[in-house]
Amino acid sequence: MKRVIQTLAAMAAVGIITGAAIVFGGLYNVSARAGHFPGVTWLLHTAYVNSVQFRAPAMADVPDLDADGMVALGARHFDGGCRVCHAAPGQDRWAVPTAMVPKPPHIQTAVAGWNVNELYWIVDEGVKMSGMPHWPADRTDDVWPVVAFLAQVPDMTQAEYDALTARPRISDDAPDDLAYCAMCHGVTGFSTNPQIPRLDIQPRRYLEQALQSYVNQTRDSGIMHVAASRVSPAALMELAEWYSRQPVVPSAMSSPADAELMAYGARLASAGTRDVPACTSCHGPKAGPQSADFPRLAGQSRIYLEQQLTLWRDGERGGGPRAELMQKAAHQLTEDKIKALSAWFSAQPAMNPEPNSSEDG
Amino acid sequence: MSVRSSLLLLAGALTLQGCSGRQSILDTAGSDAAVLLTMFWVMLGGLVVVWLLVNGMMLFFHKLSPRKYDESHAQKLIIGGGIVFPTVVIAALLAWGLSIMPDQRAPGDGLRIEVVGEQWWWRVNYWPKGADAPIVSANEIRLPTGQRTEFTLSSAEVIHSFWIPALGGKMDMFPGRETMMSLHATEPGSYRGQCAEFCGASHALMAFEVVALAPDDFDAWLAREAAPAVAPTGDTAQRGAVVFQEQGCGACHTVRGTAAVGQVGPDLTHVGARASIGAGILAPTIENFSAWIYHTDDIKPEVDMPAYDTLPDDDLMALATYLQGLK
Repeated sequence: MKRVIQTLAAMAAVGIITGAAIVFGGLYNVSARAGHFPGVTWLLHTAYVNSVQFRAPAMADVPDLDADGMVALGARHFDGGCRVCHAAPGQDRWAVPTAMVPKPPHIQTAVAGWNVNELYWIVDEGVKMSGMPHWPADRTDDVWPVVAFLAQVPDMTQAEYDALTARPRISDDAPDDLAYCAMCHGVTGFSTNPQIPRLDIQPRRYLEQALQSYVNQTRDSGIMHVAASRVSPAALMELAEWYSRQPVVPSAMSSPADAELMAYGARLASAGTRDVPACTSCHGPKAGPQSADFPRLAGQSRIYLEQQLTLWRDGERGGGPRAELMQKAAHQLTEDKIKALSAWFSAQPAMNPEPNSSEDG
Repeated sequence: MSVRSSLLLLAGALTLQGCSGRQSILDTAGSDAAVLLTMFWVMLGGLVVVWLLVNGMMLFFHKLSPRKYDESHAQKLIIGGGIVFPTVVIAALLAWGLSIMPDQRAPGDGLRIEVVGEQWWWRVNYWPKGADAPIVSANEIRLPTGQRTEFTLSSAEVIHSFWIPALGGKMDMFPGRETMMSLHATEPGSYRGQCAEFCGASHALMAFEVVALAPDDFDAWLAREAAPAVAPTGDTAQRGAVVFQEQGCGACHTVRGTAAVGQVGPDLTHVGARASIGAGILAPTIENFSAWIYHTDDIKPEVDMPAYDTLPDDDLMALATYLQGLK
C-alpha cells in the first residue's frame, strides 16, 4: 500500500514539474505555422460541431427570414463585419485570414451543412479558440438578418452580392464616411428597406445622442455597435449634422393598414390611456414645440417601430440621457397596442424635424 | 427630573399632540366620525369601570376582607360577573356597532366622488347629480358640508384603503372591484386623508387634502374646478407653458384647455390651487414644484413619474412657475 502511494506521489510530482515547464518555461509551441499535433484538429472540430448542434435554438424559434429587407440588411452587416475573414460569395479570400489556425472557411464552405438555427447560434455565440467572435451585443434579435443572408449564400452570385452591398456615390461636400452609412440609410437618410430606420425625419440632437449611445453601448444593437465603432467620434457628429439637414422625403414608409387598426392607433397615439402616455406629445406629429431630444415617428418604418417598441416594453432598450422616460412610458404596452401604434405612425406623412423643435429645450 | 422621566414626559406630550389636528379621530368634523368617537368614549369609559371593578374586587377579597365565603354566593358572583355580564355587554356593543354601520353605506344626497387609488396618488372624479361626464381632479377631495357625499372607490394596481379620520371610518379599495361609502361632513375646514393599507414603497407618502366647504362655497369651487386652465401670465410662466409642451408633459398629464390630454398621471388643470403636490406631501410652492420635477424619485421612491433631471435650471424654474400658476 505504502509503495502504491509513493508511486502515485512521484508520478504527480513529475506531472506538475512537466506542466510547469510547459507553461512557465515556454516549452509549448504556440506557433500557428506549426499548427496542431495530429488528431487535435479533428478532436476540436468534432467537439465544435456537436456543441453547436446540441445548443442551437429550436427551429420553431426561427422568425420569417424572407421578410422584406432582411437579406439586404444581413448582407451589409456581413460586408462590414464578416467578409474580412470569410470572403464574399464568388470572391477569393483575402490572404491574411488564410494564414490563421484554424483557417476561417470561405463563406460558401462555412454555411454548408448547417441549418439556419445552427447558423444563428454560431453567429450569436461565436466559437472560442477559433477567432470567431460572438455577436457584439446583448440583444440578439438583430442576429437574424445575418442568418437570412447566410441562408441565401449557397445560391448567391458575386453580382447579386455586389448589388446588395454597393455603396452609393456621394457628393464632394458630404462627410467622408457617408458612403458607408448610406449603404443602409441612404444618402439623404431615407431608407427604402423596412428593416432599417429612416433618419431624414430626425432632429440633429436626437441623431447625435443615438450615435453616442451606440458608441458607449447604452443602446444595444450588434449591427450599430459595429457600424458606429468604424467611424471616428468627430465624424459621427458630422454625419448626424448631415442627415439632420437633408430634405425630408414626405412619403410614409408604409401604406395604411386596415381602418380599425389605424383608428385604434390614432386614438392611442394622440390621447393615450391610463396606462399608456399619449405618444404624440413627445414624438409628434403635433402643432406645438417639440424637444430635439425626442425622435420623430411619423412616416417611420412599421417593422422598425414594432421592433423598438417591443424592446422598450421588455426593458431591453436603452438610449440617450432621456431613455428612462420611454422605459416608463412603454412598460405597459401590449402586443395589440404595439401593432396599432406602429401601423398608425408608419402611415403618417413625414415632417421636417427642425422648424418647431427647440435646440435649447 | 431625571433624563428618563423627561423623555417619558416628552413622549407622552408628543403622543397626545397626535390626538388633535387634521388627521385625528378625536377631532371630528363629520357625523360618521362623531358616532365613532362617541362609541370610542363609551367603550373607553366602560372599560375603565370594568377594570376598576375587577381590580377593586381582587383587592377587597384578597387584602381587605380575606375570609372564607359561602360557596353559593361565590358561584353567583362568578356566573353573574364572569359569564352573564360580559355576554350582555358584548352583545349590546355589537348591536350598537352594527346599528351605526348602515350610515356610512347610505346613498349620497347628490354629489358622488369617484376615487381611484394609483401608485401612489389619488385619481378624483366629481360627479354632480345628473352629470354625464365627471369633473376630473386629483390628490385632493373637496366636499360640501351638511349633506351626505357618496364615494365610489377602486384601485388601479394593488389594494389601498381610503381613510379620512376626521370624517369617518375607512374603506378598502380593490383593483377590478368597486366599493362604496358615504361621508357626512358637518364642519367646514381642512383635514388630511391617508392610504391606510400598505401598498408599496411610497405607501406612507400617499396622502391627500380634504376640504369641507359650505354648500355655496363648494358649488363655486366646483364651477372653478370644472373650468379650463387659466392662461399663463408673465414671461417666465409663458416660457414654462412652452417647456411643458416641448418636454411632452402632456403625454401623461391633462391641462384642460391646452393640447395636454394624457391620462397616466394626475390632472394638472388647477394644480396650483391645490393645498399640496405629490399627493399630500409638499406645499405647492415654486421651489417644491421644481424639486418634485427634478428629484421625483428621491421624494417619492419608485414613483412612475420619471425625474426630469436633465432639464436646464431656467427651464425647470419656468415650468415650476407655470404649474404653480395653474390656479
